[in-house]
Amino acid sequence: MAKLTIDGKEIEVPDGTSLFDACRDARGGEALPHFCYHPDLSVAGVCRLCQVEVEGMPKLTIACNTTVREGMVVHTRSEKVTRASTQILEMHLINHPVDCPICDQAGECGLQDQYMKYGLYDAEVEMDDKVNKGKAEVIGPYVILDQERCVLCSRCVRFCNEITGTGELGIFNRGDRAEIGTAPGTELDNNYSMNTVDICPVGALTSRDFRFQKRVWMLKAASSVCPGCATGCNVRIDHEAGKIYRLKPRYNPEVNGRWMCDKGRMTYKTVHADNRLGDPVAGGQPGTWAAVPGAVADLGAREGFALVVASPQQSLEEMYLLKALAAGSPVSGGLSDADRGEKDALLLDGDRTPNRRGLALLDIAQGDGTALAALINRATGTILIHGGDPAADPEVAAALDGKALVYIGTFDNATAALARVVLPGAMWAEKAGIFVNRDGRLQEFKQSVARHGNAREDWRILAELMAVCGREDAPGTLKAVRSELAVALGLETDLNRMPERGFVPGGDVR
Amino acid sequence: MTRSDYNILSSRFGRSDGHLLSVYQAEGGYKALRMALTMKPEEIRDVVKESGLRGRGGAGFPTGVKWGFVPQGSEEVYFFVNADESEPGTFKDRFCLDYDPHQTLEGTIISCFAVQAKLAFIYIRGEFGWLVDRCQAAVDEAYAAGFLGKNILGSGFDLDVIVHKGAGAYICGEETGLINSVVGVKGQPSIKPPFPAVSGFLGKPTIVNNVESVASVPWIINNGAEAYRKFGTEKSCGTKLWSVSGPVKNPGVYEVPLGIPFQEFFHEYLGGMVEGEELKAVIVGGSSVPVLPAAEIMSCNLDYESLQNAGTMLGSGGMIIIPKSSDMVELIQVLMHFYFDESCGQCTPCREGTGWLHKIVKKLRRGEGTADDIELLGHVCNGMAGLTICPLSDAAVMPMRSFIDKFRPEFEALIQETAPAEPVSRWPRGEQE
Repeated sequence: MAKLTIDGKEIEVPDGTSLFDACRDARGGEALPHFCYHPDLSVAGVCRLCQVEVEGMPKLTIACNTTVREGMVVHTRSEKVTRASTQILEMHLINHPVDCPICDQAGECGLQDQYMKYGLYDAEVEMDDKVNKGKAEVIGPYVILDQERCVLCSRCVRFCNEITGTGELGIFNRGDRAEIGTAPGTELDNNYSMNTVDICPVGALTSRDFRFQKRVWMLKAASSVCPGCATGCNVRIDHEAGKIYRLKPRYNPEVNGRWMCDKGRMTYKTVHADNRLGDPVAGGQPGTWAAVPGAVADLGAREGFALVVASPQQSLEEMYLLKALAAGSPVSGGLSDADRGEKDALLLDGDRTPNRRGLALLDIAQGDGTALAALINRATGTILIHGGDPAADPEVAAALDGKALVYIGTFDNATAALARVVLPGAMWAEKAGIFVNRDGRLQEFKQSVARHGNAREDWRILAELMAVCGREDAPGTLKAVRSELAVALGLETDLNRMPERGFVPGGDVR
Repeated sequence: MTRSDYNILSSRFGRSDGHLLSVYQAEGGYKALRMALTMKPEEIRDVVKESGLRGRGGAGFPTGVKWGFVPQGSEEVYFFVNADESEPGTFKDRFCLDYDPHQTLEGTIISCFAVQAKLAFIYIRGEFGWLVDRCQAAVDEAYAAGFLGKNILGSGFDLDVIVHKGAGAYICGEETGLINSVVGVKGQPSIKPPFPAVSGFLGKPTIVNNVESVASVPWIINNGAEAYRKFGTEKSCGTKLWSVSGPVKNPGVYEVPLGIPFQEFFHEYLGGMVEGEELKAVIVGGSSVPVLPAAEIMSCNLDYESLQNAGTMLGSGGMIIIPKSSDMVELIQVLMHFYFDESCGQCTPCREGTGWLHKIVKKLRRGEGTADDIELLGHVCNGMAGLTICPLSDAAVMPMRSFIDKFRPEFEALIQETAPAEPVSRWPRGEQE
């Protein structure tokens, strides 16, 4: 441990701590002004904003490249420091186009924030004198670059060198002609390219998907978990008026750190897809929820379901309820070979479902199409399929043909086409729940937007079906489901008070 | 003392055969190497430290002390000879390598032995294409004579030397920029710490020394620290090469002991100004140091301390003589263009500041400037000085500030007497409202 004094305040930090971090601690969480420093990237030391005064040193020094020393006396708000950071900020702005009114970054921009804190001077450079550079350069499938807004902090370059190891970006030319760019004939195309948009402190790199869609200050945020694969990256859903505009990674050092993949970011699109199911359908006709109990009962469900098929797309609570609804009838976890894709070493998992570990936790086994078809053929009575699209498998589709099938789903797909009763469920962003990621970590996602059409939360649908089956133990609230689930799993953690970063039952062993 | 007494570095300057190994050896060359190889590396470091030799590239850091920064017991050490001489007004290293490459090479081998480096690079400025050939020829001769390669002169010490040609960037003369350039990444300075002596080329301890510093080493080994200290002053020891340009009668490269009065140097060596010209100012140590008006430089001695006391620096010894007929604002525009063009662009104050200074000076020279613009020049300088990774930013600020300081009337003369009180809006007022 090293003891040092920052702005008259004595603090103690572990040896080897960066002075930048120590200053943040001493300033009550307020970081020094900075653009190039990023906790997950190497130190570049080029924006020169985090200047501090260290007693005994002749010149100001940048905190990000200084390691704390015992007895150090540091000033971060002295006149000398403030004058330097103000002037350096002015340097950042002299060639900046100040086109905030048409810039997507406005509202979450480092330059704007720092200017409000440290700047507030009048511009000394006429617009006509500024260095002109490229505008709206498409540099990859997801990212667009405005050279004039760039402050050349090199975060994006370091990200591609150090995190993805793909090295697409570089800084070309020198002096105030220096520019971010890709090598000729190449583009910024890796699974994580949109993280460069997140770490870009200004509006230089913006998302082609989010571009010109919404002013950021209008967005509301809900914390969630990406449903794109088994990794379960923690995300923030940015939404407004029932529409999701983007997903952003949410910091969780145990799972995704500060990153998420581009595929995951695009998962929100399915929430607003054209083929969403919006109304209950019975006998091929759209109907109302009021008619559902009768329609399901008519299919023979009063005696219970002969087979229930779960899906790794659904939440842990729903899986639990579905199993309870089965009441001893066979329970399948759906197809083991569906939803698989490429994987990489960073975050993206080959298992493109968010909750396959949840099935395992509840002892629900999966099988291939042949196995599921055999279960269906053996079933005499009503079959319930919850989520997924098992009928996409031809063997399963053949077995389901003519069966008394109830399907709870979100998309008009092959399974919905075969079902006698189709019940529109909610997508992950439209409900709350828990996913169990590939490491067995239980993580909570919260509702961000209203449900599509007349879709309902799945736990309510399942509870209603329990009532149809004559069961008296149907839960009345999601809270009650979670309490039961915790008992069933023998968990000490209260599932109604989920830790922000989730938890692994029995401890954080990865 | 006569001039030939202090031909430590320049005895073969101007000769057509000085670059040959046979000539160099006939005149006592590689004697110091034989002696050095019988010494302990730390003894060589001590001799150089005691000699008071200071880095001749511009910063003036004691060479022996720098060598001492290599962590003890380092297995892998690299040595770089910095021949990326690109400071405007400076052309002394070029003379060393052109006329006497073996002296630098012998100094390199001794220096490498002192820091136990097994691989050295001679990094030559890209524009000095012919020097690459000259140095390569010298290196080839040295290999053939057993001064390089395995088991040099039976001492058990191995050393390889690679002659590397730069691609023509001023900033690659900064030691970490130079190392990066050789590694093959963008030639721009690295953040310090770590310093190259601890972590440089390939992350290993690396010493970068200027040509003139290295070339001084054989003489110091041959004659001892005490003999070297006889030249110069207490803190500025030895001799210094001055490359002099401008309208003096005898421009060129001169070797003189540190500490001689400028007046003596100016009159006896340079022969004073050419007919019809009068001395106005001198940039004494390369374009990056503050300019001194004639009256101030005339009372200076040419050593580190006197020049520092006079508000400038000895720098690289690239002396630019400025005559009365020169327009100081035009000169500073040339210099500001140089720094603007050569800034690597990584640190914001330098990247933006050098361009801004250049624009303001151009504006003044177009006759569009106001009194505020002169103040603005000072303001921009304040935002650049001492705030960047390498000293290029300061190298632009020092001349800029001193030119305004010492020659303000010339800047003021360019200002329009009837400057508009307010900037003219680009949007006609009627349309706005």
